[in-house]
Amino acid sequence: MLEAFPLMPDQIVSEDGQLQPGETVTHTPAELRALWEQMTLVREFDRKLVTLLRQGRTTFYAQASGMEATQVGIATGLRPGHDWVWGYYRDQGVALGLGMTLHEIVSQMLGSNSDLNKGRQMPHHAGSARCRFVSGSSSIASQLPPAVGMAMAQAYLGLDEVTVVTFGDGATSEGDWHAALNMAAVQGAPCLFICENNQWAISTPVTRQTRAESIHIKARAYGMPGYFVDGNDVLAVQRAVRTLADGIRAGSGPVLLECLTYRVGSHSNADADAEKSYRTRDEVNAWTSRDPIERLERFMARQGQEIGAQDRAQVVARIHRDVEDAVARAEASGQPDWRTMLEDVYADTPSHLRHAYEDLRQEYGSGGTK
Amino acid sequence: MTATSSTGRQDTPQDTAPTAPETVTLTLIQAVTEALRGELRRDDRVVVFGEDVGARGGVFLATAGLQAEFGVRRVFDTPLAEAAIVGAAVGMAVRGLRPVAEIQFADYIGPGFDQLTSQAAKLRYRSGGQFSCPMVVRTPSGGGVKGGHHHSQSPEAYYCHTPGLKVVMPSTPYDAMGLLRTAIRGEDPVMFFEPKRLYRAAKGEVPTADFTVEFGRAAVRRTGTDLTIVGYGGVMPDAEKAADALAAEGVSVEVLDLRTLVPWDREAVLASVEKTGRAVLVSEAPRIGNFMGEVASRIGEEAFGSLLAPVMQVAGFDTPYPYAQDRVYLPGPARILNACVKALQY
Repeated sequence: MLEAFPLMPDQIVSEDGQLQPGETVTHTPAELRALWEQMTLVREFDRKLVTLLRQGRTTFYAQASGMEATQVGIATGLRPGHDWVWGYYRDQGVALGLGMTLHEIVSQMLGSNSDLNKGRQMPHHAGSARCRFVSGSSSIASQLPPAVGMAMAQAYLGLDEVTVVTFGDGATSEGDWHAALNMAAVQGAPCLFICENNQWAISTPVTRQTRAESIHIKARAYGMPGYFVDGNDVLAVQRAVRTLADGIRAGSGPVLLECLTYRVGSHSNADADAEKSYRTRDEVNAWTSRDPIERLERFMARQGQEIGAQDRAQVVARIHRDVEDAVARAEASGQPDWRTMLEDVYADTPSHLRHAYEDLRQEYGSGGTK
Repeated sequence: MTATSSTGRQDTPQDTAPTAPETVTLTLIQAVTEALRGELRRDDRVVVFGEDVGARGGVFLATAGLQAEFGVRRVFDTPLAEAAIVGAAVGMAVRGLRPVAEIQFADYIGPGFDQLTSQAAKLRYRSGGQFSCPMVVRTPSGGGVKGGHHHSQSPEAYYCHTPGLKVVMPSTPYDAMGLLRTAIRGEDPVMFFEPKRLYRAAKGEVPTADFTVEFGRAAVRRTGTDLTIVGYGGVMPDAEKAADALAAEGVSVEVLDLRTLVPWDREAVLASVEKTGRAVLVSEAPRIGNFMGEVASRIGEEAFGSLLAPVMQVAGFDTPYPYAQDRVYLPGPARILNACVKALQY
């Protein structure tokens, strides 16, 4: 069961797929299947986007492989469209789980005309008002203080909503992280802080981010409970998020949850040689053997719900087709018109931007993209 | 409506006409307080917070009495953390409040800079207009109070350089009240710099009825034909003293107060310079990267043919703000006058 400040991360399913002593799982076969499909979607999305990157059709990609249980567990532990999430750039699994479509996410990654964000940011900064998933900034940990403010607003307005903010282990070294946790605790803001501790901030290991024995234990200093789960156990992550979110709804105040997981791939295409430059193949192999999708599959098999090779292949093939279709539609939508570059800087259009529009019109005429 | 007072000084045009003719005399800081009080009464979404703003009422007492009237839910103290104060304002605004955050001194915003430039300024743009953060950061700014360089700087240019933020600096009680209302009622993040040396030095008539002052419109403080002085914020009284001295010598000086830097009133400045042929730009921020560099650039680009003399700048020096030489550093009437004479004699 979930307890504050444990020494070991909470698990429901062991690495070999066995239910931990004292645990029960009430998920229906359909619910387990849905979790498996969602995690498989995140994995296969990674594979397709890496291919897209190698083809030069996008410019940047940050894999979430290895972190599927954490991200799917977060999304499915919340009330999509009701709770709010300030994510971080690697949260494609969270975004998909909250209801963003493949087409919307791919459109953002390509900066295409169909991007909800109008092609304003590099890949991995999707956002959707419909899904209450706030478009992110690249600066590390800067999403935390706004998440606290949003939670304060929810309390002020008497809303039955939780604000979740996610971040990596590197973010916990930033001043914004400390300021946010302190502010949330002092204000009693209904905010759920979730560290997706994948143990590497590009090439810096978590042991060079902090001398504390874990991230979750730091919550004690701010006056809030800290929880610790096995981030490769989707059932444990989902339960923790659901339990803590419901607790926050009931007035518990802010909490910190650390999900211990591992980024199996590189940080991004900027460090595709991660295994050569800063970490060992043995370490990666050790974590690969703890694969969160395979763990769920082993558990499902023990429940009599084995996923056959043909079944898996069909699901994977469908996902690949869906991603290819999303990419094709995004590419077909073209690039955003030059006029949109000057929109949304302000709610109105001040005179200096009207002048800029006139300058650009001289160059681009009445046509669209140049 | 534009009124001319008995002193010959041109009053600020009114953007929305008051419904009653009554006025009251307020200092600039009293105008800030009354604007906040009025907005707190008018709109339940408005919340006021920062360090010491509650029971104390702020170190300058800009929020004095507001917590007593509106309670700790709407007017509250926060931890001493500019990143949290500014960042929380962003999130509150996204979820539908109208946060007005106070940073105790503009010099202290540093830890909140990332929140302003990465979050507040860009949220609307980066989300394609899906999200916005209508919020105000109020902060005392500028020198003249013997504060040394951590209580006297004029950092407005940093924020003018960040698209997405609006930047305001009033110099009169009327403008402080009208501009602050506009800031709170608007849909964008606003940096509201209050020239601290004018908090109690600037007094003026303010309508008791509701009014606002539009952003992006300079105030013509006096009309003239021989030379244009452009300034904003704390330098305005000294700019007018220089204009008085020149008037005594028979020189007709036009004085413009920009009031808002982003957006700024390019049309008013260009029209004035085209009329007078001479421009003296006054601000107290260090000269390199000073906002007036942008004004000078525009005049050079678009009114070059009208110029009878080079555009002159009077600014702070490119040093950290000094404690002992507080008055030497600031562009006082003598330095402004010298620049005007140089332009007139060119």
